[in-house]
Amino acid sequence: MSEKKQLTEQESLQLITEMIQKAKASHFHENGTSAILWGSVIGFCGVFTFFKMHFGWNTGSFDVWLLALIAIIPQVFISIRERRQRVVKTDMEAAMGAIWMVYGLSIFALIFYFNVIGGQTESLLRGDGMEMMMKNLQTGEISHLYPFAPSQGSLLLMLYGIPTLTTGIARKFRPMIVGGIACYILFTISCFTASKYDFLMNGIAGVLNWLVPGLILRSRYLKGKTC
Amino acid sequence: MFKELDPILHSQLRLAVMSLLISVKEADFTFIKEKTNSTAGNLSVQVQKLKDVGYMEVTKQFKDNYPLTTCKITPKGIAAFESYVKALQEYLQVGK
Repeated sequence: MSEKKQLTEQESLQLITEMIQKAKASHFHENGTSAILWGSVIGFCGVFTFFKMHFGWNTGSFDVWLLALIAIIPQVFISIRERRQRVVKTDMEAAMGAIWMVYGLSIFALIFYFNVIGGQTESLLRGDGMEMMMKNLQTGEISHLYPFAPSQGSLLLMLYGIPTLTTGIARKFRPMIVGGIACYILFTISCFTASKYDFLMNGIAGVLNWLVPGLILRSRYLKGKTC
Repeated sequence: MFKELDPILHSQLRLAVMSLLISVKEADFTFIKEKTNSTAGNLSVQVQKLKDVGYMEVTKQFKDNYPLTTCKITPKGIAAFESYVKALQEYLQVGK
């Protein structure tokens, strides 16, 4: 291809179409390795746990779901290798990358939530001088009950952060990245606090997550309109 | 009165490069070279011209001890490309 050749209008249009087609054909980079890795690991863990419960297998203190945690190590290497091999990056790929990154973060946040809320429910009840008990109606035996009161405010905080952080990363818009991260931080704190404070944190999240980025976007929009 | 076609874009290789970059976020120099079937020397010169007029952003870094050049179209480049395509359409409509 040379820069000296004089193009006719028809040739120019043809060249543009051809190049856009070539770029489109190179868009698909995902080789499926990550999907195969996680599909195998989660599939195995789920089926194994089912059989363990169904047949009463004794695996001692071994928790098969630890494999999901170990699988992060090859995933890191796969991601690094894929990034090195990439010669072209599209907006769509950047958006997809942001979605999967925030999804991974949310899965970890949820696991954290499941592990923390039970203990926190109990300690908050103890703080109020209460404890939950259960009674076996057949034997009359009374035993301690480990409560799990879902912290709705915490879950909402995490949900607030998902679209904002995804959009912020995909668009490289810092106020949204900050707002999204703030939601995850507030989510973590809210797992340890009473509902009253969760509402306060919901309010703070609303300001950081939507109001501040919204005001910045509004001012940019108005500035662009006057130009 | 017809709009004059942008001389920077109205060249085979530069137009090919801009057409490639318009549909991607960023691309490596090697990718552009392969898709445009051009030589490294010629492409370098054209990329530099596009960079000089502010249509393209070029980032040079090292990856595994090898130089890596990444090209990205700028908002000014997008506007120029759109205007070029619009002008082309006007010419072609009259020719019909």
